[in-house]
Amino acid sequence: MISTNSPATQLAIRAASPLAVVVGAYLLFAGHNNPGGGFAAGLVFGAVISLRTVSGLQGPLHATRLISGGLLLVVAVAVAPLFWGDTLLDQEVLSSDVSVLGKVKTGSALPFDIGVTAIVVGLVAAVLEGLGARDLAETGSGSTTTQTRVEP
Amino acid sequence: MCIAENTYTVDVMVWMLMAAHVVGVAGAASIGRTSMRRGLLFASIPPTLTAIYAIWLMWWGTAPSPSELTWVEGLDLGIRFNLDAVALMMTILVSGIGALVFIYGSGYFSANANGGGRFSASLLAFSASMLGLVWADSIWTLFIFWELTSITSFLLVGHKNTDASVIAAARRALMITGGGGLALLAGLLVLGNASGTYVISDLIPVTGTQGAVAATLVVVGAATKSAQVPFHVWLPGAMAAPTPVSAYLHSATMVKAGVLLLAVTGSAFADVEIFKALGLAFGIASMFWGAIGALRHRDAKLILAWGTVSQLGLLVTLLALGTGKAVFAAAAILFAHALFKAALFLVVGEIDIRTGTRNIDELGGLARSMPVAFAVALASCLSMAGAPPLLGFTAKEAAIEAALGVEGGERVIALAAIVGGSILTVAYTIRFLVTVFGPGPETQVAERRLAMTGPAVALGLASVLGFVWLARVNDIVRPAAIELNAGASKYELLRWPGLTTGLGLSMVVLGVGAVAGLAAARLSTPVPATTGANVADSILDGTLTFARRLTARVQHGSMPVYITTMVATASLATIPFMTDLSTDHLVWWDSPLQGAMVLVILASASAGAFVGSRLGAALTLGIVGIAMSGLFVIHGAPDLALTQLLVETVVVVGFVIGLGHLKRRFPPVTGAWRSVRLLVAVIGGSGVALALAASGANPSGRPPIEELAAASVSEGGGNNVVNVILTDMRGLDTMGEVVVLATVALGVLALANLRDSEPSP
Repeated sequence: MISTNSPATQLAIRAASPLAVVVGAYLLFAGHNNPGGGFAAGLVFGAVISLRTVSGLQGPLHATRLISGGLLLVVAVAVAPLFWGDTLLDQEVLSSDVSVLGKVKTGSALPFDIGVTAIVVGLVAAVLEGLGARDLAETGSGSTTTQTRVEP
Repeated sequence: MCIAENTYTVDVMVWMLMAAHVVGVAGAASIGRTSMRRGLLFASIPPTLTAIYAIWLMWWGTAPSPSELTWVEGLDLGIRFNLDAVALMMTILVSGIGALVFIYGSGYFSANANGGGRFSASLLAFSASMLGLVWADSIWTLFIFWELTSITSFLLVGHKNTDASVIAAARRALMITGGGGLALLAGLLVLGNASGTYVISDLIPVTGTQGAVAATLVVVGAATKSAQVPFHVWLPGAMAAPTPVSAYLHSATMVKAGVLLLAVTGSAFADVEIFKALGLAFGIASMFWGAIGALRHRDAKLILAWGTVSQLGLLVTLLALGTGKAVFAAAAILFAHALFKAALFLVVGEIDIRTGTRNIDELGGLARSMPVAFAVALASCLSMAGAPPLLGFTAKEAAIEAALGVEGGERVIALAAIVGGSILTVAYTIRFLVTVFGPGPETQVAERRLAMTGPAVALGLASVLGFVWLARVNDIVRPAAIELNAGASKYELLRWPGLTTGLGLSMVVLGVGAVAGLAAARLSTPVPATTGANVADSILDGTLTFARRLTARVQHGSMPVYITTMVATASLATIPFMTDLSTDHLVWWDSPLQGAMVLVILASASAGAFVGSRLGAALTLGIVGIAMSGLFVIHGAPDLALTQLLVETVVVVGFVIGLGHLKRRFPPVTGAWRSVRLLVAVIGGSGVALALAASGANPSGRPPIEELAAASVSEGGGNNVVNVILTDMRGLDTMGEVVVLATVALGVLALANLRDSEPSP
């Protein structure tokens, strides 16, 4: 059995998680103009939660909620243009000047990408659960962490 | 009804009403969860609005023009609705009776009934599906709503889902009507292809083999839905549903869908012999067998259900005859039947609730103890029998006239069938009336509930008032009939037909039928066996057993065999590309770094094939993946590289978890099997490589990169072409992909839960 919950691993993962979350968020927002996008962001977040789960830092996520929420969002963005007479998935582009950031341009692609991200994270969470991560999080839990096991 | 040129279209209303139904389904689901009664009352709002709108349109409004909601332009996918005269007549029935049934349901169920959310949402969903079906003006739209009615019907029949016989009945109904839906789809596709349009109102007459094939398939599809012999076996079983469902779906609306389909396709099949022959065969067989069933059964609800089979047979017969008069009579009977049969079901439901039984042997004397129900039943029964002065009389009169008007050899058949069927109808009607309400052991009766009595009275009155205000009924029925068959314009429903042969026949029918019915009421025949249903069930069971065996044979569960099969098949698929293979355009590399990366990939992939420990294999695969993303970077595809790298990262974590559960080393395999796997791997890899090289030799055009990049900024509002393609230009593909992802994730969860629920080995 591979030891995944040593204090050193936990410390490293704890330190890395916020950074990784920032990177993921960057990829999500930057995706429209630079490399990145919903899939990539979802994978980064997925990697974070996998590491945290493996090292016993957190319990399983609500995979079904992430998946259904993401699907709803994606479908809502896709269907919304029908209500104002455009075709399915028609893009709306918004741009405005924000004081610090300068010109910010975004569009309905962003919520679409957020939905994609949620589904990818949900997939990772589901696979983690399928691999038995829950047992791992229980048996491999470090003494310093509190286990919050949430039933899906 | 005004059929003037449209100056002002109100077609937005059609969509609003449909949207109201959809919103209502969600509302009913949440309100009904706490109280079935409130859920049903809430659910009655959309049908009420729709019925009011339809009635307003009928007499004061102008018919809205067809309207189409396109949701994928390139694929020509859309929903097309047309509220024509036929649809308007059906809307009044679907939503009018629907609203009454919802109110009735709020009295039918006890205050603490279970499953209120599911039931009221399903019932309203059915209402919406049925509206979509009658409004549909495109073959696709029609088919989608057709199947939706089958599915919602399944949910409603199976409402009491703890009873095995109820589940079997629901499954039977779904399989027969759903299977018929497939025949219908095939038939409609052939019909659309032959007539060059998929818009129903533009269909033109078809002939020849195509016409015959289409007609056969469409008639079979219609026969399953409209419970024609021998497909009728699902309908008596569907009486396991709560009575509001039987009244609504299985008498007034859903079973009329098949009839409606024959009506709207009738003009396209006017020159097809088999349409008429099949229709007459189904119709006449059902008319008689249904009536005989109604005479044999002793459950009041089943008597009505078998009567419905018979009446649907009459409608199919008339539509198969296809003359103007016959089509007119069919429209009139369809309208009248919905009113009186729904009313009778509501009465039987009330009897069931207030006496606790539907068996005619245990019922009796209800004329005195349930006078209001008796009055409703009397009016509706007489209308069903075709006795004056009721709406059913005028409709039945039209049917007999239609049979008299048929020319040629069919005249005898049509006349014999319709007169014979009508005699049996009168007989089972009288038997029903006498055995339930007539003298007998006085049955204990519980309190009356206003919510149940009110809708029944309204529907019972409709049969009377329809006769009084016959002109209003003509307003509804005639335009519909004329739209189906221009020859119907000469006819209208008559209060007094004059001393004609038809009236004479009608009186004979009533006299003979009444005598037969009174005689039948005295007989105590044994309850017939459910042979047909058993046969249907064993066919279904046999199919399922076969499927299970086949699946067990094909899905053996061995991962190496699956993968070997897939890779071998994929390599076969590359063979056609090999003809284009040439080395002219091939270069070794754009940059030597690529060569280095490829060497790394080849080396680690080969190592992976021979490494004995699982961790080692995981590592070599990881190296392959990372080298691959290196290749992407060199090629100038940062998005791909990023995604590939991230996938590799996540997969590593997966390996860490997964390997913890497994032995350190791979299990041993025999040498022969190992050689096969190696061979397949090599062939698969080189096949794909060669096919790619070959496809590069024969480019079908330069990819429109500049155009895409420009469109990306102007339309998608982003500089990253890859992402704009994903979220905008090919957004539908992405949506499809994430749906697949979500499905996979749910599948994984389901497997995980399955494993957790099993006792650990």
